[in-house]
Amino acid sequence: MDDIKDAEEIEQTFWVKHSFLLLIGISIATALVLVVISMELYASSGAAQLDLSRPGYKDVTSQAVQTDNDFKDYQAFGTLDPSSVNDFKTLYEKEAEKVKAVDAFSGDPLDPAVLEISAPTP
Amino acid sequence: MKIRTAPVLAGMLTSLLVVAISYGIVSAESTSITDAQLNRIKTNCVSAKNTLNQIHASDALLRVNRGQLYESMTTKLMSRFNNRVDSNHYDAKNLISVTQNYGTALTNFRNDYQSYEEQLSNALSIDCTKEPVSFYDSVASSRVKRTQVHVDVTILHQYINDYESAYKDFAAIFFQAHGVNN
Repeated sequence: MDDIKDAEEIEQTFWVKHSFLLLIGISIATALVLVVISMELYASSGAAQLDLSRPGYKDVTSQAVQTDNDFKDYQAFGTLDPSSVNDFKTLYEKEAEKVKAVDAFSGDPLDPAVLEISAPTP
Repeated sequence: MKIRTAPVLAGMLTSLLVVAISYGIVSAESTSITDAQLNRIKTNCVSAKNTLNQIHASDALLRVNRGQLYESMTTKLMSRFNNRVDSNHYDAKNLISVTQNYGTALTNFRNDYQSYEEQLSNALSIDCTKEPVSFYDSVASSRVKRTQVHVDVTILHQYINDYESAYKDFAAIFFQAHGVNN
């Protein structure tokens, strides 16, 4: 009986003695788990694709549009009269033209012939 | 309930045959690369990867800049106009319908771009001097996915036109009701 008591006391004394180390260990483990979760969210949410600060994007980072101040907001509330309907038309046509001006992702730059990895012509 | 074993077996065999044929086609595609082409991939590996890196970066920039505009079309214009029309008790059904379709197309664009970018990153991570076949297949897959992103862009442009048409229909009724010639 006394032996069991002694063993429990020794064990208790061990964790009491090393409580600071235990705290550090748990903190590191928690931080690692949180980092893994956040990296997973970063990769799966599509945020990674919008992050131009990643390595390899250094040359284009400066060309990213930070804020599109030219793009005017239309007022979501208020009375609807002929003037406000016409204002929307003017605004929409201007922005739609801007958006449609670029046929993004057109062309075929990944064509093996362009990359010179296609079968050589005889 | 009595199950007839013959049709079930026949179905299973057919499925197996289809899978086997599909696998054969895919394998044939992978192995259809000739030795001369393998050598060409290995020789031009560095230049191909440089080009892919440039495409990777320029497409990312395109995604960020164009994506902002596509988002703004719905958040700053379409949704706001729909709100205003609806809060003034006019019929905004057609406008809302096009906006919802546009939203779905925008989600597809985001997802397809993500899939394309991941595939291209995968291609870039392959050592084409050691694994030329995997590299070629990965680039081919990226190419298909990039084409899909372009299709999504075309659909978005189409919905922008559709919204304009829906607006014109709404405006015609609205101005007529207000006795305005537009």
